[in-house]
Amino acid sequence: MKAEKLKGHLDLLLLSVLSGGPGHGYEVITRLKVRSDGAFELPEGTVYPALHRLENAGLLASAWDVVAGRRRRIYHLTLRGEAALAEQAQQWREFSGSMTRVIGASRARVNGSARLHPGLRPARLVAALAAGGRA
Amino acid sequence: MSSGTADVPGDLVEDYLDRLLVSLSGSPRQVRHTLAEVEAHLRDAVAEGIAAGLPEETAQAQALERIGPVHAVTGRAAVLTRPSSALLRRLTLTAALVGGAGFVAIGGAGLVGRLLQAIKGNLFMTAPWPHGTYTQAGCARWLAGYPGTRSCVTAMLADHAFDFLLQATAAGLLGLIALAAYLFLRRRWRDRATMTALPPGTAEALGTVMAGAAAVYFFGVVADIEMVQHGIGAGQPLSLAIAAAGAAAVFALALWHTVRAARLRSG
Repeated sequence: MKAEKLKGHLDLLLLSVLSGGPGHGYEVITRLKVRSDGAFELPEGTVYPALHRLENAGLLASAWDVVAGRRRRIYHLTLRGEAALAEQAQQWREFSGSMTRVIGASRARVNGSARLHPGLRPARLVAALAAGGRA
Repeated sequence: MSSGTADVPGDLVEDYLDRLLVSLSGSPRQVRHTLAEVEAHLRDAVAEGIAAGLPEETAQAQALERIGPVHAVTGRAAVLTRPSSALLRRLTLTAALVGGAGFVAIGGAGLVGRLLQAIKGNLFMTAPWPHGTYTQAGCARWLAGYPGTRSCVTAMLADHAFDFLLQATAAGLLGLIALAAYLFLRRRWRDRATMTALPPGTAEALGTVMAGAAAVYFFGVVADIEMVQHGIGAGQPLSLAIAAAGAAAVFALALWHTVRAARLRSG
């Protein structure tokens, strides 16, 4: 999926990934890739301004620690972050459900039309029109 | 893996971190933290690539491609975040470089003009004024300045050709002063905000366009003089056209180097 499509949902994705436990930036990106089966492709650098923004908003907190020989900033969800995640996840489920219903209904109509077409051969169509539309 | 602090030429990760450092805004602590965070990220990504069997340079290039451009990490377009004083400083540097090089090019036109004067004479350098447009007093002044000349027109040509060469030399000296000022100011204003206030290669691109346009214009004037005046007085615009074309070529070469270096840094 293109980065532009993910932009509006990045906060929810990051909160969701960090709900599984604290992690540093690289770890967050790795979890995001694994959990999306590699479907979410975005420049990895874009995750950092998003993490900092969420921290400034009080939804995340961070602490420095040494992991695998490197000094790293470990992020974790705050209570406000957990509440925000629950709210945003609910909103997404409602939005996703509505989208699925709309798209599903459209597809059903398209499939239904496609099934009618083979029967509408020219000769039968002319006969039907001549008979006043009774095909 | 290169993790030392010394300047390592060709180390893509170090170059990226340098550019990130001069692009980040915020408090010193925020800048330090983001830099440390991104460095750890890049070192992890490079280590992952090397573990997968990639050569270090390829692993670095891949890590940089994955993390994206510097502005992806800073979260905003670099130019918009620069304070106006930094932009003014950078514009001053750009003006000093382009203006200084332009004036030096005019000085170079003086040298070319001197050569043309020696080869083709003053009549090629400057066209005489039509009869009736100058006074006897003017004539006397020119003849006094050039006692070796035999007529008023010859003295006038010598005087006008000398004026052009004198003015070109003065412009060249002014250009050298401007370039010296540019070098001095560039050393003083090496802060990250000034360095990134304009995209790399801006001055070179501006110089290429301006010098190129000047070259086209003066070559056009030369062609016009060739057709209308049979080449009389074509020397001055020809000198300027040759100098402008030279300046455009130098600027274009500098632009190519700058763009190439930027591409290599960004992987």
